[in-house]
Amino acid sequence: MVAACGNGANEPTPGTGGGNNGGSGGMAPISIFQSKVEIAGELEALAKKYTEETGNPLEVWGSAGDAYITQLQARLTANEGPTIFSVQPGEEAERFKSYYHDLSNEAYVADLAEGIGLEIDGKIMGMPLAVEGFGLVYNTDLVDPANVKDLASFTETLKQLKADGVNGLSLSQEAYFLIGHLINTPFSLQEDPQDYLAKLAAGEVKTAETPEFQEFAKFLEVIRAETTNPLEVTYDRQMGDFATGRNAMVHQGNWSYTMLEDFGELNIGMMPFPLMGNDKLAVDIPSAWVINGKASEAEIKAANAFMEWLITSETGKNAIVNEFKFIPAVTSIEATDLDPLSQAVYDATQNGNTMPWALNYFPPGIIINDLSPLAQEFFLSSSMTGEQFLERLDQIWANAG
Amino acid sequence: MKKNRDRAWYALFTVPLLFIFSIVVIIPFLIGIYYSFISWDGIAANPKVFVGLDNYARLLQDSRFIRSGWVTLQFTLLALVIVNVFGLLFSLLVTSKLRLRNAARTMLFMPNLIGGLILGYIWKFIFTDAFRNVGEATGWTGFFFNWLLDPQYALFALVIVFAWQMAGYTMIIYIAGIQGIPDDVMEAARVDGANMWQRLTRIIFPLLMPSFTICLFLTLSGAFKIFDVNLSLTGGGPINATELLAMNIYNEIFGYNRYGLGQAKAIAFFILVAAVTVTQVIITKRREVQM
Repeated sequence: MVAACGNGANEPTPGTGGGNNGGSGGMAPISIFQSKVEIAGELEALAKKYTEETGNPLEVWGSAGDAYITQLQARLTANEGPTIFSVQPGEEAERFKSYYHDLSNEAYVADLAEGIGLEIDGKIMGMPLAVEGFGLVYNTDLVDPANVKDLASFTETLKQLKADGVNGLSLSQEAYFLIGHLINTPFSLQEDPQDYLAKLAAGEVKTAETPEFQEFAKFLEVIRAETTNPLEVTYDRQMGDFATGRNAMVHQGNWSYTMLEDFGELNIGMMPFPLMGNDKLAVDIPSAWVINGKASEAEIKAANAFMEWLITSETGKNAIVNEFKFIPAVTSIEATDLDPLSQAVYDATQNGNTMPWALNYFPPGIIINDLSPLAQEFFLSSSMTGEQFLERLDQIWANAG
Repeated sequence: MKKNRDRAWYALFTVPLLFIFSIVVIIPFLIGIYYSFISWDGIAANPKVFVGLDNYARLLQDSRFIRSGWVTLQFTLLALVIVNVFGLLFSLLVTSKLRLRNAARTMLFMPNLIGGLILGYIWKFIFTDAFRNVGEATGWTGFFFNWLLDPQYALFALVIVFAWQMAGYTMIIYIAGIQGIPDDVMEAARVDGANMWQRLTRIIFPLLMPSFTICLFLTLSGAFKIFDVNLSLTGGGPINATELLAMNIYNEIFGYNRYGLGQAKAIAFFILVAAVTVTQVIITKRREVQM
């Protein structure tokens, strides 16, 4: 176990997936079920290429956005689980841990960047394919980052853009894009986010009394007052309007670049969300791919072969960097020719200018079940103040604990 | 000899159905009763902990469940009235001497053939984008705005879609009832000088009581149990305002992973719906008139 991870080997170990496997495969058919809708089409194309190159069958199950976990759980409980599936680090990964196959001895986890593999009980159980980051994605023609450094300048910028007929900032109605990512910032700015979360669940601290949250509430009020109602906007519309210049900023991550590709060259960048003068992008691993330990021996072998191929073959590497537009989590894949958003995240990572995703440690399901309805209520009723929002937030956390 | 053969035919027709019914309905129901006394998060590898009546105590204090119940009640009453009034009107229309009555009957029944999920998505588009655009174009924003963002109007939207789906179905049942009324009774009434209103209330309605029993029962249970239209039209929103009972139970189980509590709610739901519908059937059956 110790030998496989962290032994500093930076060369990709030649494996069975490095090239052709004789063409006729002979491995058991396997399936992948993962939660990223942005790469659905590209993943299916990759599956076809894999089968062409190695002869091993690979099936991609359609991913379902907000309902992914429900479907995954139903299938796992019915013993019809996928061979490879994705889980979010933190509570979600803990919940499903009895289904994982130990990856510590696999060749391909050797190249993971320091400390980045999904570890449970000291063993590497999940393989992250990408690091991701989010922040304020902005149109460089419409917004100057120097004008968005704190609450005052942020408000000023929004008002100015509104006067010019442009929507300053667009959120969107999906749970994570409405409030899930936005609320990560105040949590991540705490000294010890996980400790704060534990205290919040126990009722020992209150967001209503924490300065980062108090300012966050003011940000919410400004966003509500100066921008279009996010509940009227879907992800498609949000990015479409951004690409056509109707939205000056969106609170999104580098994954959203795939929604902008069809629009050609755009002048965009990513800047930190200026809460309390924050200058860091939120970067972390969004999910890791795990292999279903309850699958048969043959299927596990086939799954490992696929993962090996994905990390080491030219087609696989090309898919990760150029088609999925991931910033690779393994050091053996070069991150060249990145799109502007991924470049911003990559630079921030290289400079150490990042903060983690506290949202990975939220109580399971809280974003979809509780934070989303609360945010809906906030954006629908202009009478709900920021303070009331924080009070409700405290109640939610106390109940979820 | 004949009796044995009769028994064989009887068995042939009922045993397969009974078999399927017990596997798909009875056995899961019994397992469900067992689950309502445990606490479990749905992962097969995690333990099921016996908690007795704890789940039932919790659901009585669950404010979101109680509110779901009230909203479902409101929805059911509205739906009951609207579906049956329109069903009756349509059936009277279609059994009259109207020239287009056959075409009308087909078109009024067609919405029932579209699955609830698709219906919800179609109407969702109408209530959000279409209404908003019409409102902006004509300026009548008092009526044409995004209904699904307002808790009260989202409920009305649900009633409209449910009525659109079910009115045709009840219409068919009422048609059968109306056509079962002997012509000579109507003729005699007309000869005796009864006007339309008197014919309607003194003759047609009492003789339609069996149809009322069936339609009220179907609408009542259908409205109480509604899920597919709820899911596709509003998704329980905005702010969980239109989260009806079935959806609340679904979210409890699959959203919060509280299988035991969700199952207890489901059992309570069953008892409620059974009590209401059986009561209704008894009351309306007593008022049926036998010809």
